[in-house]
This record gives sequence, structure tokens and C-alpha cells, in this order.
Amino acid sequence: MNDFLDQLETCVPALRRYARALTRNADLADDLVQDCLERAISRRGLFRPTGAVRAWLFTILLNLHRNALRASHRRGETVDIDMVPELSTPAAQPGHIALAELARAIDTLPPEQKEALLLVTLEGIPYAEAAGIIGIPLGTLMSRLGRARAALRTLTGHPAEPHLRTVK
Amino acid sequence: MSEITRDQLMAYADGQLPEPEHAAMEAFLAANPDAAADVALHQRQSDAIRTLFGPVGAEAVPARLKPRRLAAEMARRRTRNWGWVAAAVVLVGLGLGAGWIARPLFDARPASQLLIADAVNAHAVYVAENRHAVEVGSDDSEHLSGWLSNRLDTRLRMPDLATEGFTLVGGRLLPGEPHAGGRAAQLMYENATSDRVTIYVTAALPDRAPGYEFASYDGAEVFYWANARITCTVVGTLPEEQMKTVASSIYRQLTEGDVNAGRPYRG
Repeated sequence: MNDFLDQLETCVPALRRYARALTRNADLADDLVQDCLERAISRRGLFRPTGAVRAWLFTILLNLHRNALRASHRRGETVDIDMVPELSTPAAQPGHIALAELARAIDTLPPEQKEALLLVTLEGIPYAEAAGIIGIPLGTLMSRLGRARAALRTLTGHPAEPHLRTVK
Repeated sequence: MSEITRDQLMAYADGQLPEPEHAAMEAFLAANPDAAADVALHQRQSDAIRTLFGPVGAEAVPARLKPRRLAAEMARRRTRNWGWVAAAVVLVGLGLGAGWIARPLFDARPASQLLIADAVNAHAVYVAENRHAVEVGSDDSEHLSGWLSNRLDTRLRMPDLATEGFTLVGGRLLPGEPHAGGRAAQLMYENATSDRVTIYVTAALPDRAPGYEFASYDGAEVFYWANARITCTVVGTLPEEQMKTVASSIYRQLTEGDVNAGRPYRG
């Protein structure tokens, strides 16, 4: 039981990060995480020890997010402008992608592409696990990722640029 | 590896390509600058996304998102809810217990009391009526007898109270106690001074046990009896002596014959 709560605790930062990237709103994101944790705690009996706690938590979070999206459908999306940080660290690098531009581009992605892209790139979750969390076959996940990246590439206007080799 | 797919390129960019395939992939990228550019762009996208949103993961977690605290709060809420459930269970239990203990108080009222009360009520209601005192008048006493007999599932003849100075006004069917067949017949008699006496008859009670009772009830004199075939309640506001005379005449006429042998009353 305490072990279980410890496992939850280690996942909270990642859940917050993913929720923030999905919602682009700090309060909404933390509400989502709190709902997710409460649901996990109240359903810990249903948790299968064979599966990873992290994947289970992300599945819950994603379902809650989708429900919230459905509920607020056509109510208009609010994007917190403060959420787009003016980060200077990578700015000096040649060939960096303008972050504000990228943030806007991600926002225009269809939700199912966005949730897949963020799971893999932001959270570094293995493809198979990500497909399980989203509830789609691996092939579907790959094609969503491919489409998301192609869209971002077009939207951020970086079809090709010099110094490709310098970027790792 | 002869062919490199787009998915493999992406997997390599995401660091998810299995180790054994790395050498082939690197050789392929070295020979295909365009593919290498793709991979590099993929990686830059990922880096940028992590730069954008990664810092959130390093923020201090607010207290409300601490699993231990959440679990404790949920447990408290659950306990409160269980408290209410427990209280409800105790209250229902007390109610049931009290009801069970008090059961004899409610059961103490015998069927005869209910029948007498119904008879007195019916008497009070219909003796006050003039035009609609009865449903079927005495001029059709054969029909009245047959009709009420059918409804009560027993043979009911109209007692003759001429000796006591009363003539039959008529009768009516009334709803009655469910355990006495659900129906009752009321017969009304009247004397020269317009004093009225009613007879309230139902089918026998389930126990079919005989019973007798004299009572004063709301200013009315009542004589009740039950046997294996019927229950009968005579109600009137005559002086007690006169009521007893009338009632015993009715009793004689309605119980004539061997009740237990099941032969019909002559009436």
C-alpha cells in the first residue's frame, strides 16, 4: 500500500509535465493530475501488478483529459500565453526551432497526434507502451507520430536547413 | 539490413531502435544525407518539445498532488461516509427492533374490533340517509337476498323482525375487511318511530372460530357474533334491552340450522 503510494509519487512530476503540455494551462493540468491520482488510489485494487504503474497512470490521465476535451468541446480553447517560455538556452544554437512557433504548431495538431507525440518525445515512453496507453495498435501510433512530425516540420517552416550535422 | 523504413528512421531518432540495428542504420545515414537530415530534424523537434515543457517536471509538486495526502483525505471522506451508513443501519435496526417488540400492541386489536368499527361507521353513515338509505329496496327482497348471497359467497336470507316492530328497508353492498372476503352486506330495518337498526354481514373470518361480543360503541349498541360461515354485527341506538331483543331475534334466524354441517341458513 505504502509502496503503491511511493510509486505514484515518483510519477507525479511526469504526469504534471504531460498534463501541462496537453492542456497548456497550469491549473487545469494539476486538476487533471489530482483527478488521476485520486482515481488511481480508489482503484488500486484493480491495478494489475504485471503492468507498469506509470503506463496505468498515463492511461487514466489521458482518459480524463479526453473526457474533459469532449465536455469543453466547442466551448473554445484557451491558451495561456505565459506557458510559452522565452527560453534562451538553445537559442544560441544554429538551426534551433523557434520555441514559441513550435508551441503554436503543437497546439494546431489534432488531439490524437498531440497526445502520441508528447508521450514519445516529451516523456520518452517506448512506442509499445505509448500505444498501450493511448489504446491503439503500434502501427497506428507510428503513423500518428509520422504525421505529427511532418505537420510540425511544415508549420515551423523548417523543411531543411543547414548545420544539420551539427545537431545531435 | 537491406531496406530502412520511415518507422525505423523515426525509431532511431527517438532512441528506440534496437541496438543490433544501429550499425546498419548508421551506415545507411552516412550514405543518405537526406535521411540523416530527417533524423536530425526529428531530434531537434524532440529537443525543442522537451525544452518547452520539460521544466514543469522539475517544479516542486504542490501539496495537493502528494499521493499520501490524497490517500489520507480520501480515507477520511470514506470514514465519514461509512459513519453515515453505520448510523443509518443502527437507526433502521432500532426501528425494526422497536417494531418487533411493539408487535403485540398492534396485533392486539382482534378482527372483531375492526368489523364492529366498520359496522358502526356504515350504520352512522347510512341511517342518516333518507332517499339513498339503501341500494336495493325491500320490495325486491328476493333479488336482494340472492345478490348479497352471491357477493358474500354464502347463503343470506333477510331476517324477519316484524315481531320486534321493524320492517326491512333494504340493503347494500359495502367494501369490507380483506380477511373477511373484502365485501360486506348491510341490511337496514326501521320501526314506526323511524328508529333504524342495521345488520352488517361478511363472510367468515379465516379462522372460522365462533365469537360473541356485546359493546357500546360511539353511542351505538352493538351485538357481534362470528361462526364458521359469517360474521354479523347488529348496530342500533335503541335502549340496550330493546337492542338485545332485536339482536337475539336476528341471531336465531341467521344461525338456524347446523352451522358446522354446512347446511344453508334458512333466514
